[in-house]
Amino acid sequence: MKKLPSLFFGILVLFGSAWIGVVAYSYNNLSVLEPLPDEETGGTLPPTLPGLAVIGEKVYAANGCVECHSQQVRLAPLTTDIAKELGKRQTVARDYLRRTTAFPGSNRTGQDLSNYGARNDDANAIHKKLYAPRSVVPWSTMPSYSYLYEVRKIQGQPSNESVVGLTGAAAPKPGYEVVPTQKAKALAAYLLSLNQSYALPEAPPPPAQ
Amino acid sequence: MSAFPSISANTLSTADRARIDASTRGPVLLFFGSALFWLVFGLALETLASVQLILPWFLEGISFLTYGRITQAATTIFAYGFATPAAIGAGIWLASRLCRVELDHHKLLVSAGIVWNLGLLIGASGILSGDSTSLPLLCLPGYSTPILLLSYLLVAIWALLTFFRRGDSPLFVAEWFLFAGLLAFPWLFAAANTLLVWNPVNAPAQPAIAYWFAGGFVNLWLAPMGAAAAFYIIPKASGQPVASHHLDLLGFWTLMLFGSWTAGASLIGGPVPAWIQSAGVAASVMMLVPAFAIGVNLHLTLSGHYATVGWSPALRFLATGIGCLFAYWVLNAINSLPAVNAVTHFSDIGRALTVLAFYGFFAMAASGAIYYIVPRLTGHEWPCHGGVAWHYWLAAVGVGLIVIDLLTGGLIQAYALTNPIVEFRSALDFIWPFRFMSAVGFILLFLSAANFALLFAGILLDTRKNAAPAYLAVREADSTEPVAV
Repeated sequence: MKKLPSLFFGILVLFGSAWIGVVAYSYNNLSVLEPLPDEETGGTLPPTLPGLAVIGEKVYAANGCVECHSQQVRLAPLTTDIAKELGKRQTVARDYLRRTTAFPGSNRTGQDLSNYGARNDDANAIHKKLYAPRSVVPWSTMPSYSYLYEVRKIQGQPSNESVVGLTGAAAPKPGYEVVPTQKAKALAAYLLSLNQSYALPEAPPPPAQ
Repeated sequence: MSAFPSISANTLSTADRARIDASTRGPVLLFFGSALFWLVFGLALETLASVQLILPWFLEGISFLTYGRITQAATTIFAYGFATPAAIGAGIWLASRLCRVELDHHKLLVSAGIVWNLGLLIGASGILSGDSTSLPLLCLPGYSTPILLLSYLLVAIWALLTFFRRGDSPLFVAEWFLFAGLLAFPWLFAAANTLLVWNPVNAPAQPAIAYWFAGGFVNLWLAPMGAAAAFYIIPKASGQPVASHHLDLLGFWTLMLFGSWTAGASLIGGPVPAWIQSAGVAASVMMLVPAFAIGVNLHLTLSGHYATVGWSPALRFLATGIGCLFAYWVLNAINSLPAVNAVTHFSDIGRALTVLAFYGFFAMAASGAIYYIVPRLTGHEWPCHGGVAWHYWLAAVGVGLIVIDLLTGGLIQAYALTNPIVEFRSALDFIWPFRFMSAVGFILLFLSAANFALLFAGILLDTRKNAAPAYLAVREADSTEPVAV
């Protein structure tokens, strides 16, 4: 190890091996994945997303939700993710196809969200939870995202978008209402769109135990 | 002891050394000073986040103080505000010393330091105000990273110039690590930002690339830079040559090979091809080889001379840092075994390992380097040895509390998260007391960083006019350099 060029070349080869193996391989093989035709509905798998859900992904990223929420159901039987009912099948690369950014996550201080939309279909319930988490689940450790909501005086009729059913300290004063901003609506649409309950050939559901 | 003695110990006169040191003063002090400012600020955010984990209502509902944003800002500030500038600062000084050339164009480097800090200020504000990308270790918004890359380019050009101006002497092991780190960082950072932030590839390909970056940031950037400092300063300050040239070779090349392949171990059972996962597991387990080669080599170097670790702050911090790096690689190897990872992944064990690598290894090693380098630049000693001792013990106890609590608590949490008959709520209940203790640990870490920043301000301003070096105990052995610690 006497000369700079041989050191440089050695580092280049070793580092380049992982660059080709991990980065270039992923780039060549995973970024070219295509949606599959869905024979039942005539659509595609994974299904296309509503525009609001695409915007909501930015809100999800902006508030660092990924720090506590994963979005991956891992392989069974190696892991118990499916037994814990996080999803009916493993998450595969193609599941992220409709997303701009994949958020597999690395911590589950909060619940896994891969199939959040399959468990919840009520936007108002999501707004209640985002606005005042502990008014819905007393032991929740999620912080409030009340800054995504506007508390305003009811002018004439209450808005048909206002969050209903807020109780306790979270309830607005009489004559006031809590209305989701555009960001909150987009985030709720994104959360509702998290749903991997379609079948993909590369991820068959594991046989029942 | 070795056929490959520590070079430059006997061949460079004290006057030459002082001239080289003086030429690096401006940029190195700028990088170190800004690094310490960001360390304190980042740890303040980290402490706040750790309190929010146990008291979720604490400062909630304020957009720029919400948990997700401050924890990402804190990690980013540690990685790009403290770790990278500290590594660059130490790298500049080490390169000048090792290549035995006085620093030219230091205005270029001072500009680079200013540009870097501006870029980070913009990026960190961006994260807090809601522009985070939420990618692991790459949260900086796309408009701030070109500024950082531009700044790094100025440093890299200068580093290349220095390496080309060096004489014909054989490359010392610290130079290999230094050269590798300086080469790896721009490759990792530019490639990951290009593929994930500026012009994102389709989402299915992103996780593998993201963890290639996150693994590389620790194994190919922080680890080589920390090792470079250790392999230069430990022999210098203890007066012992590096024990084994063969272990040097083994440690360095296995780190380069396995360190770059660990990505798949962060996605076991996840949405990446199975062979990438297997390769990641194999590489993470094989990291035991560089862990032992580097750890044993430095241990053998200090063996019989551990008294020096007692009195020299630089040695004590560096030895602790390398010990933590060894522990990190060993624990990470265990945590990468698929059967273990299936249970522990997504628990706080991951956070414990990150703290061990960042605050246990890198912050300690960089502090050691700063303790060694700065008195040689300012020409006077650290203001008080009591402050140094406080810094060490607060940091050591803080890291210890966090790592031990999150590891044990994480095991219980992991059990609750994976056992199908245990409710999700139980995982939160089980981890709570351990997170409480880790919040205490972060407060101690914050105090240690604040203490260090005050010491740094003290040595710059030369408040105490300390003539004697700030030894932590009575000095027993001799160092090759008479001045400073």
